[in-house]
Amino acid sequence: MGFFDTLLLPFTWAVSWLLSMFHNLLTLFSDDGDWADSGWNWTISIVMLVIVIRIILIPLFVRQIKSQRGMQEIQPEVQKLQAKYKGKKDPVSRQAMAQEQQALFKKHKVNPFMMCLPILAQMPIFLALFWMLNRMRQEQYQQEGYGALSASEVQSFDNSEIFGVGMSDIFLPAFNSSPTEWNVIILTAVMIVTMVLTQFFTQKQLMSKNMSEAAMTGQAAQMQKVMLYALPLVFVIGGVNFPVGVLIYWTATNFWTMGQQWWVIRNNPTPGSQAEKELNLRRAARGLPPIHEKKGEAEQAEEKPKPSGKHLGQNAQPSRKKRKK
Amino acid sequence: MTGRTAADREQAWVRHRDFYVEIGEQPGVPGPIPTPEELRRQRWGWFRSAPSAVLAALLKLYRRLISPLYGQVCGFYPSCSAYGLEAVTVHGAIRGGGLTAWRVLRCNPFTGGGVDHVPQAARIWPEGSTPSIIETNHPPIPPDDDCAAAEAEPSD
Repeated sequence: MGFFDTLLLPFTWAVSWLLSMFHNLLTLFSDDGDWADSGWNWTISIVMLVIVIRIILIPLFVRQIKSQRGMQEIQPEVQKLQAKYKGKKDPVSRQAMAQEQQALFKKHKVNPFMMCLPILAQMPIFLALFWMLNRMRQEQYQQEGYGALSASEVQSFDNSEIFGVGMSDIFLPAFNSSPTEWNVIILTAVMIVTMVLTQFFTQKQLMSKNMSEAAMTGQAAQMQKVMLYALPLVFVIGGVNFPVGVLIYWTATNFWTMGQQWWVIRNNPTPGSQAEKELNLRRAARGLPPIHEKKGEAEQAEEKPKPSGKHLGQNAQPSRKKRKK
Repeated sequence: MTGRTAADREQAWVRHRDFYVEIGEQPGVPGPIPTPEELRRQRWGWFRSAPSAVLAALLKLYRRLISPLYGQVCGFYPSCSAYGLEAVTVHGAIRGGGLTAWRVLRCNPFTGGGVDHVPQAARIWPEGSTPSIIETNHPPIPPDDDCAAAEAEPSD
């Protein structure tokens, strides 16, 4: 065991334990003798691993959305702060403004940010998975087992295939080998393209729909635009070097993120964003007041039973968005 | 300014605590001439400075390459990576690393973020050679009265 194995031990152990558990569970549900060593069994196990990790993170996520709720009420004070720093675009002033803004958020117990822990917590898990999958290709660990995975499980994983492509196969070596392993190349390429597309769509949706007008100007927005095109590059460079097992994890995570964000943008958009306008249009169509309008009002509206489901006639259509005022 | 060197004993020194000032005050103003004890403690041997420098370099790399991927996610001021960089710079790898780990653990939606500066350290620097992260994290906060005139202007 190397230094990195020891460092990642708690994470690889947790990841391998979950993987092993799902694999055993899936094996239990089938009478097919080959199913235990099937690549699809392992693929579903990895996807379930993603689902478990993301479900664990949901409470953090929900809490974060709740702490965004109060943002609208402190808008006057945020605007006052913006007025104070109006026209001051130098880095020092921006830092000063950031500091005052965080103090303001804290005072009112709101915070629109995602926070570091939920994001950083996923990194060692990904790293551990990547490390583990690399280890599983090595002779030594196929004899000893790795983490919570037994020797036979490691062998089963390493020998398993989907579409004739092994879990440990990698784009670049397949490309360089002679004869070129086209099945590996095609499968990994499809997965890389899928990752790039889901990421691109997620980011694009965030930028076009869920950023307030204030956030869309300024340096941060510029950076986001750069990232829109830089991140696919990261996926391509990573994608050609990572084994299929890691790509499965990565693709599944991207899909989850995309779905989760779609849900958030639809139901809890950032105040002042395009998505909020759209939500308010939909709410108006159902006879509900605009979201975030006033805390008391909004709560009353939520407690009210749905407007009986009766057809309200043509007048109920969202003829104008400022209907409420 | 540039003519001064660290070897110049007569020059002004800035203490880490000089950056902790009230709203409206200028942070990083040189204090009294440091005592020999302060000057002695200011020098870190390689045993202390090397791990700190390694961590600081990693954090700078992270801030440069990975942070922008996420945009602003941190609910604290300074952000976790800025906090970490300052912490390992002024407290060293062990205490700074511990402080940073604790900060990241606290940076979750249940704590609510806010302003949370690195605890003051005993480090001092010759004026002008303060690490830039210290100045970045401790900007002068203009008093609120400053904006009275700006507010009086009719806004669009």
